[in-house]
Amino acid sequence: MSAHSTAVDPKSASLWARHYPGHDVIGTRTFGFWLYMLTDAMVYAALFASLVVLSHASNMVGGPAPSEFINPRVAYEETIALFASVLTYGLAMVSLKKGSRRGVTGWILLSALLGLVYLGLSVADNVNLFQHGITPQTNGFLSAFFAIIIYHAVHIVVGVAWMLVMLLQIAKEGFSQNVVYRLINLRLFWHFQAVIWVFVFVFVYLQGVVL
Amino acid sequence: MLVHLQGSWSPALGRLCMKQLAFLHVPILEYTFAVVALLGLAAVGAVTYFGKWKYLWREWLTTVDHKRIGIMYIIIGLVMLLRGFADAVMIRLQQDMAIGPHSPGYMGAVHGYLTPFHIGQIFSAHGMIMIVFAATPLLVGLMNIIVPIQIGARDMAYPYLNALGLWLTGGGAALVMLSLFIGNFAHGGWYGFLPYFELPYSPGVGVDYWMWAFQLSAIGTSLGSINLIATIVKMRAPGMTWMRLPIFTWASLSTNLIALTSFPVLMVALALVGMDRYLGTHFYTAGMGGNLMLYNDLFWIWGHPEVYFLILPAFGIMSEIIPTFSEKTLFGYATMVIASFAIGGVSWGVWLHHFFTMAAAPSVNSFYSITTMLVGIPTGVKIFNWIFTMYRGRVRFELPMMWALLALSLLIVGGMTGMMNAFASNDYMWHNGIFVVAHFHMMVLVIASSIFGAVEYWFPKLFGFKLEQKWGKWFFWFMVLGTGFVFVPMFILGLAGMTRRLDYIPYTAWGPYLHLEMVGIGLYGAALLFFLAHLYVSLRDRESRRVGADAWGTGRSVEWMTHSPVPSYNFALIPHINARDEWAWRKDNGLTELHPGDYEPIHMPKNTGVPLVLGAFFFTLAFGLTWRIWWLTALSTAAIVIMIIVRSFDTDTDMTIPPNEVERTEKRRSDRASDFIATGVPPYAGGPVGTATAYQRLPEPAGGTGASSGGRL
Amino acid sequence: MKNSWKKVRHGATLLAVGALGLFLSGCSARGIYLMHPEGAISKTSFHYFLLDVGIMLLIIVPTTLLAIWATMRYRKGGHGAYQPQWSHSTAIEIVVWGIPLITVGVLSYLSVKAIYAVNPYNPEVIAKAEKKAGSTPLEVDVIATDWRWLFVYPQQHIATTNQLVVPRGIPVRFRLTSTSVVNDFIIPQLVGMIDVMPGMRTKQALIADHRGNYLGFSADYSGAGLSWMHFNTHVVGKRKFQAWVSSIQKTPQSLSYKGFNRFARPYIPVGQKTQPIFGHVKPGLFDFVVREVMRGKTWNTPMNMTENMVAYLKKQSKLQKEGYY
Repeated sequence: MSAHSTAVDPKSASLWARHYPGHDVIGTRTFGFWLYMLTDAMVYAALFASLVVLSHASNMVGGPAPSEFINPRVAYEETIALFASVLTYGLAMVSLKKGSRRGVTGWILLSALLGLVYLGLSVADNVNLFQHGITPQTNGFLSAFFAIIIYHAVHIVVGVAWMLVMLLQIAKEGFSQNVVYRLINLRLFWHFQAVIWVFVFVFVYLQGVVL
Repeated sequence: MLVHLQGSWSPALGRLCMKQLAFLHVPILEYTFAVVALLGLAAVGAVTYFGKWKYLWREWLTTVDHKRIGIMYIIIGLVMLLRGFADAVMIRLQQDMAIGPHSPGYMGAVHGYLTPFHIGQIFSAHGMIMIVFAATPLLVGLMNIIVPIQIGARDMAYPYLNALGLWLTGGGAALVMLSLFIGNFAHGGWYGFLPYFELPYSPGVGVDYWMWAFQLSAIGTSLGSINLIATIVKMRAPGMTWMRLPIFTWASLSTNLIALTSFPVLMVALALVGMDRYLGTHFYTAGMGGNLMLYNDLFWIWGHPEVYFLILPAFGIMSEIIPTFSEKTLFGYATMVIASFAIGGVSWGVWLHHFFTMAAAPSVNSFYSITTMLVGIPTGVKIFNWIFTMYRGRVRFELPMMWALLALSLLIVGGMTGMMNAFASNDYMWHNGIFVVAHFHMMVLVIASSIFGAVEYWFPKLFGFKLEQKWGKWFFWFMVLGTGFVFVPMFILGLAGMTRRLDYIPYTAWGPYLHLEMVGIGLYGAALLFFLAHLYVSLRDRESRRVGADAWGTGRSVEWMTHSPVPSYNFALIPHINARDEWAWRKDNGLTELHPGDYEPIHMPKNTGVPLVLGAFFFTLAFGLTWRIWWLTALSTAAIVIMIIVRSFDTDTDMTIPPNEVERTEKRRSDRASDFIATGVPPYAGGPVGTATAYQRLPEPAGGTGASSGGRL
Repeated sequence: MKNSWKKVRHGATLLAVGALGLFLSGCSARGIYLMHPEGAISKTSFHYFLLDVGIMLLIIVPTTLLAIWATMRYRKGGHGAYQPQWSHSTAIEIVVWGIPLITVGVLSYLSVKAIYAVNPYNPEVIAKAEKKAGSTPLEVDVIATDWRWLFVYPQQHIATTNQLVVPRGIPVRFRLTSTSVVNDFIIPQLVGMIDVMPGMRTKQALIADHRGNYLGFSADYSGAGLSWMHFNTHVVGKRKFQAWVSSIQKTPQSLSYKGFNRFARPYIPVGQKTQPIFGHVKPGLFDFVVREVMRGKTWNTPMNMTENMVAYLKKQSKLQKEGYY
């Protein structure tokens, strides 16, 4: 078998791609963002694995059992806020398809607000825990517990900041190629962190209640 | 403060104080500092004297050209390789001196000349530098340069991100170098020992330096891998189907998939060390519900894939060089691709063999022993395929090929000893021993040999002339000799039961082998001198070794289809790919014309200084964190966030090269190439003009327009 | 089938021994400890080592010869036929995948067998010997500190530092833990490595076949004193061992929990001929150490401790005179 057997007939072969349109910018950018999310998913995977490793009774010395302090009710409220925010962001993308600048701006503003609501709930809950002496310094389990929650909250902060930046860019540039791919990537990011939140809710909060 | 710190701390300077300026009071460092300072001044002076600051800034520091970024990666890699070698010399000298209870001690040491405090830093720095700041940048640099050209692209998918990755790696390297003079480096091995790296046992700043430098390079490499994968998936020239992808690009793809998925785990492993040290959490502490084995798992879940992240591009390089110099198609292309991905896949399931002795259940050790041996299957297949590539070929022993063959023979030794380590009952006997050290040095020498081969092989592509052969061969043979003298005794010492990281060897029986290793180090030192001579003579006599597009005459893949040196836009017109070894196919069919004419405007990214400045701020951020200078940390973080946001508002990031400028550049290159034909200077010193190739059967096209290389094929 | 398999094994062993013999004949055999096993565990490991190397050499040697032959025969200007397009052969592909596959299969089988044979927690070779002899094993609790080994004999209530004495031919079972960081316990000629971890307990076992002195040390990096953290293993006859035990028991020095806290402070035993021995040890010391470490007890090392080793040793001997340790 020859290595060239798959090749085309040299007589009719096209050698140079004239008028080559170049590569699809939006497609390339969003593909890269998918790859980034894969790395972030690996970060979460490592953190969740750490939580599992640090969830034995010996890892909870000097602190209360998780079921004594974990409050799935707050987490449920946070879930509502977060998912509502994802929904409004989805609606922003619908407006983007219509090309409605007002629609996009309004829905993104609402998403950012709902993100802030989530953050408020989360901060209040954790400050409450700190005040009861339940801190990351208490024991190994709590270190992992707070690491996941805080790392997720950082994502929300970044997402909200990104939304605010996008509002400015829409005002400045309208729906240019750059703005559009960033809005698409932000949608990916916002959905991604919501998916992660499902895992946080199940494996940190719900699991914590039965531990 | 959440943690108890030994020593002083002030708001303005953190833990930094006069006492920490090691270069002022440690004798060895005084001289080192003087030399480094002089060299630095000389470099700055030279740039100023020749008025090259502007050139340096415009053409290099702010560039987003993947080739220049790659070259800078390689320069970082080579500089750090030198530093790593200096560390190796110091370790070997100490182990050569400190044998037996009667050996004398100097400079505060009981035996030899290095105290545990110092040799600890040296072996940590040696390992970390060689893996993270020498091998990784060298290979990332090569992939950066070659992959876009091999797939017929003009640049990487994200040129700006590419530059950022470079400067993050540069920041990390700078941090490691700084630790030499200010404060100290980690003294517990490059991969870190927990809980040894917790504050009670490593109270100094060394671990913090280690951690942040590591973190910077991890972020940089992750960005790089995102970029390379996106480039390979999205930027291939029309007609380049997956099964026409050059083999080095396949290797890059598999290796970057490994990096993409494993580096985040390293970031977590290190971040948790950081949280223990800065916030007083209990991830890895022995008490308080921590779990020190968690670190080993997380680190080696990255660490072992990282090993294959380094070896797969090396295999890719060998798979490029061997066909070119066997003047023949690669044997078993599909098998090679499958084997690369098999190695990449298995690499995820073997990490536990790094702590076989941690008393896991025998069933667990059995599982990981078997998975580790599985790596031997695709690796063995690759070795056979290279052999069968040479079979029925015409093997030319030029320098790149010699390096590739050295890599192949070291791989046989390294592979066999690796299989011995995978056999867990063997590993129980020498797990933390010198035998393992000798094994993985064999493997990194496979990588190093491939890198040297790749440098020889692709150098003419980038610079338009070949490296000379005479000093290069001296360099090669002294590397071979050095390897023999250092590592054969090391294998024997491994079987003797000697363990790693000793600063004093209590058993005089091991003395002769250690002395032999010192001889090997001397040979390596001589090799280094030959390498410098190799570079110097090559640069001096470059005019006599100018080459055209197909520098070796038997190149096969797409990168040999553009001029040497490669213009900034790589291809005046994007090539249309018709075959697996496109250039070989074109030569077979007499389609070697490289000047299609009718040029079109080319869109290229504009230079930007933002990545460099961001890299600098990441460096100050890491420095601030290391010394716990909180204001510097806050300031750097704010600067980074603001710069990223401000840059996102910049819309003026691209430029267009007009067709007439493209034509002028193309013409200049072809003129230059045809000069040598006119003056009768051979295209390279290794053989006659128009070296016979596998494709000689075609009549040479008439001179004139096409002459860049077509005329000589 | 079984017979031919034995033949292969025999051949492989011969080949390995031959190759190693050639390899080592040039150098003095003195100090090549792993090649001179003197205990049940190390001998078993060595046996599998030879098998492993032999089988691999059966593959590696022909491969190397093939590589050399291909490069020489098909060098430019050589005699080999030139076929530039030849790049595929199903037969060769099957062979090149098949050979490594079969080799790895055989080695995997042997590896698993070996792992169970020398499994530190319950090595089959030791378990068999115990069953046969019917003797109760000697128990030794090993506590690694920064940077000394404390060997506690719980049945005899005695403890020694950096010196292990065991009777010949009798199984010895170890429990190991560390006070501060991870160490790795090994006596190259008797038994392989096992990690010694703070807050945790690992196990190891050995039988020594001959009288003599064997060196042991810590193999995992544990800090400044690592290179001096070695101990002598003295294998003696049964009767001599009893005599040694009663001589130690007569020593007035005893080790309490409080005394242990003092003992575990960072100490580098440079050039120390004699190390503390304890005629009486408070029972349960091993469990006490594990428990304390799990509760968060640490024995911190000072910053830049051995930047000047000579100065540090002076300070250490001063502290020792003042009864700090």
